[in-house]
Amino acid sequence: MDKGADLTVAGIHKRYGQVRALSDVSLTVSAGEFLTILGPSGSGKTTLLKVVAGFETPDEGDVRVGGRDVTDLDPAQRNMGMVFQNYALFPHLTVERNVAFPLEMRGTPKAEIRTRVAEALAMVELTGFEQRLPRQLSGGQQQRVALARAIVFRPTLLLLDEPFGALDRKLREAMQLEVRRLQQRLGLTTLFITHDQEEALVMSDRIAVMDSGRLEQVGRPRDIYDAPASPLVADFVGESNILSGTMEAGGSVRLADGTAIRVTGEGPAAAPGAKVRILLRPERLGDAGDQPGAENQIAGTVVEAIYLGLSDKYRVRTAGGVELLARIGASRTARQYRAGEPITVGFHAADARIIEVR
Amino acid sequence: MTAGTASAGRSLRVAATERRAAFGAFLLTAPGLVFLGLLFAMPLIQLFALSVEGGTTEWYAKVFADGLYTTIFIRTFEIALFVTVTALLIGYPVAFFLATTTPTWRAIGFALVMLPFWTSVLVRTYAWMIILGRNGIVNRFLIDYGFIERPMTLLNTRFAVVLGMVHVMLPFMILPLYSAIVRVDPDLARAARGMGASRFQIFRRIYLPLTLHGIVAGVTLVFVVSLGFYITPALLGGGKVTMIAMVIEQQVREFLAWNFAGALSVVLLAITLVVFWLLNHWVARRVPPATGQGR
Amino acid sequence: MEMNKGTRIGRRALLAGAAVALAAMPAAAQEPPKPRQIVINASGGAQAASLRKSYWADFEKQTGIKVVDTSPVDFGKLRAMVESGNIAWNITEIGGQDGYRVTQMGLAEKIDDSIVDRSKFVPAAKAMTHVFSPSSYSTVIAYRTDAFPKGGPKNWADFWDVKKFPGPRSLRNHPVDNLEAALMADGVAKDKLYPLDVDRAFKKLDEIYPHISVWWTTGQQPAQMLIDKEVVLATGWNGRFYGLILDKAPLAIEWEGGILKSGSWIVPKGAKDQYWSFKLLAMMADPERQAINAMRLGYSGTNTLSEQYVTADKKPYLPLEPTNLSKQIWLDQEWWTKNGQAMAERWNKWMLGKQ
Repeated sequence: MDKGADLTVAGIHKRYGQVRALSDVSLTVSAGEFLTILGPSGSGKTTLLKVVAGFETPDEGDVRVGGRDVTDLDPAQRNMGMVFQNYALFPHLTVERNVAFPLEMRGTPKAEIRTRVAEALAMVELTGFEQRLPRQLSGGQQQRVALARAIVFRPTLLLLDEPFGALDRKLREAMQLEVRRLQQRLGLTTLFITHDQEEALVMSDRIAVMDSGRLEQVGRPRDIYDAPASPLVADFVGESNILSGTMEAGGSVRLADGTAIRVTGEGPAAAPGAKVRILLRPERLGDAGDQPGAENQIAGTVVEAIYLGLSDKYRVRTAGGVELLARIGASRTARQYRAGEPITVGFHAADARIIEVR
Repeated sequence: MTAGTASAGRSLRVAATERRAAFGAFLLTAPGLVFLGLLFAMPLIQLFALSVEGGTTEWYAKVFADGLYTTIFIRTFEIALFVTVTALLIGYPVAFFLATTTPTWRAIGFALVMLPFWTSVLVRTYAWMIILGRNGIVNRFLIDYGFIERPMTLLNTRFAVVLGMVHVMLPFMILPLYSAIVRVDPDLARAARGMGASRFQIFRRIYLPLTLHGIVAGVTLVFVVSLGFYITPALLGGGKVTMIAMVIEQQVREFLAWNFAGALSVVLLAITLVVFWLLNHWVARRVPPATGQGR
Repeated sequence: MEMNKGTRIGRRALLAGAAVALAAMPAAAQEPPKPRQIVINASGGAQAASLRKSYWADFEKQTGIKVVDTSPVDFGKLRAMVESGNIAWNITEIGGQDGYRVTQMGLAEKIDDSIVDRSKFVPAAKAMTHVFSPSSYSTVIAYRTDAFPKGGPKNWADFWDVKKFPGPRSLRNHPVDNLEAALMADGVAKDKLYPLDVDRAFKKLDEIYPHISVWWTTGQQPAQMLIDKEVVLATGWNGRFYGLILDKAPLAIEWEGGILKSGSWIVPKGAKDQYWSFKLLAMMADPERQAINAMRLGYSGTNTLSEQYVTADKKPYLPLEPTNLSKQIWLDQEWWTKNGQAMAERWNKWMLGKQ
């Protein structure tokens, strides 16, 4: 099948009355890439998708696909496949007719329609369901029909608008992998919308984090997780401890309660005396006894202990009154704490990074 | 459902529960049924009894005897059909607008649609007489601006009758259409558009089939009610348009020919029921019973 | 001025009426018990209001019996009431053409001439045994005076003459009156009309059909259409033009060939409290009250003595004024009772044939 084209959105602005839905959004998705727009509800991600699909016209900026400006094209002329949140299957048409729909609209010859619909249904493993109506299918099956319908006409771009929201966890995980495999096999340039950070981390080549109509950070999943560009990204992607303090000479940050923390992780430079915020991922915090060579050690009390199977999660209050989250991996040697017990957490200076300087 | 004694027993219990629920529903509708029985079924039976009073079929023979009454029936159906088609052509876009616009415009639109609903048919009919008359608003406008020299005959024509009746019937068309259109997920239209469908194709392939039950409801309502009109055609038709209800009224009030009027009414009712049945039969074959989202 | 005069007459009439009523009343002991109310079914509207002022209000005052009026006139309902024995009306008006039929079908009580004095009524009104007729009305030609500056049509032949009197016309969507008018237009002498030569009448109607823009169905239509300039010539019941002409509307009527009918009232067969119903009709027979009512509505009183109470300015517009009367004919109710339904069918067929 054809390889997807690259997508560029440049300087997009969109307002609804007084509400700024999109502010100066610029983004490039290269051909065959799977890019996820991640953000909380109301962050503007769906508006961005609608602008790309052509259902909304931007106030400013343009959209280019494969170098061609499509900003003023009708959705019907953009040749993009889209899977809607609720699938938007035509309830009065059979699976076969649903999938054939985009081909019929293009005037594809009947015989070709038949083979391509069969091909697409085989791809989503729905062969044999041709004559069913959507309401006779399970949620996962409907999802596959929607997917088949979105790829059957070999679109230049695949747009997925939170397609897994209605599925239960197991099915969702299976579908995530299936969609990813299919996308890679077809080499489809894909724009994926979700508010689920785990989903974004699992599926994407790159992630664009959005908030309040702006792109906060665009990067590979690992970069987003390990090197969030702002407290907001850090907070939204994964769990985090974000602590405020003052930079001291020699690479330490002094917290409000007097504790000094050694910080050597990559991040923006800060002059001594500057107010900074630092990020500590909970899984990098450990029982001080199990962290040989950890430059930082803080004593405190377990406020809450949660057993998660793969790990234990502790809420710890330090002597100075700061609360920290720590995830301690389950291993045969790991000690388990109960609420009320004293604990000393330790972490490497390299795992603490400055994410904001004020 | 897997077969097995356990599930069979459960489905028996389910059936019993459903039966109880059905009986409860019957009890709830009983007052309505009694009401309908007394005020609707009884007069119908009496009407039929009148038409065959004395065991004779002469009144029915008279209905079909010479061309007069069959011609009036045909004219009546022609006009009702005209009115129905016109109301559908005007009503669908209006209903579509109401179903897809912003809440403010919807409120304004509904007020405009319902406003004539609350005015008497007679008043609305006279309003048309003022608008369409030889010295009415339309003619005066066209003459003042030099489009025509002599007034056109708009009033006292079949056109005026159809227009007046459409005006009266429009809400009956718009309301069922609206409720059908508003239930269609707007994402379906977006999806179709994204897949390359033109506006007409979206209407033809998505909205039309999904709102067919609403169309049939509106069409049935308008057609059946239109068959029984007599004030509007009498006043706007200038006496040149005869509909069957006018004849039935004349037979009852002027000639006290109740048996004959009964026969005319029974024939009208029978034809109406056949039309009604055909439409419903046709739509039942075409549209799956539930046209929801299938989720 | 007119109003003042009217009120003065009203007051005088009231006194006179009271005297007549008192004189006509036998000793109270012989009278049947008074009902609480008398229900009169009539055509409603302005007419009912005038009747109440002219007659019923005084009846209430004198007897203490309340007069309740209902509408509309409905022959079918009358028959249903009489046949079921469940008669809600003490008195009802009926259509002017139905007097013969109502008598024939036995739906009316005989008028008690010992209570209702009709000795001075015009012959047409006096002759009816079961129908009481306090007034007469006529179907006449009406036209816009500004459409015919050289003078309007003078007879039915003129109404048919579309060259001399051009412009859209209106006739009633009903064979009654129209068949008579067509025959008169075709030159049939007024006293040779009945039995109607129906074929000849319809043939004459064929001529005028293309020039009739409206076949009217309700009584107020002709006057309204003339005022709106929708038509320039129309037929209609004279009372419908009466008030407009007095108010100086550019309308005129022509009595020549007018077709007279009796305003008709009956006591339904088997109705309750008939004595008091006839008492009320007796009041409606009083010449002075009839004159007052006639001047309000334009429908002449049938008591020949009423003429003298009509002021000169109103006389030209009342159908039974001798000069006017001499130009008109009386509708033959007997002929229409026998042929009405057949004529209606033929009329409908004729209409459909034209569409």
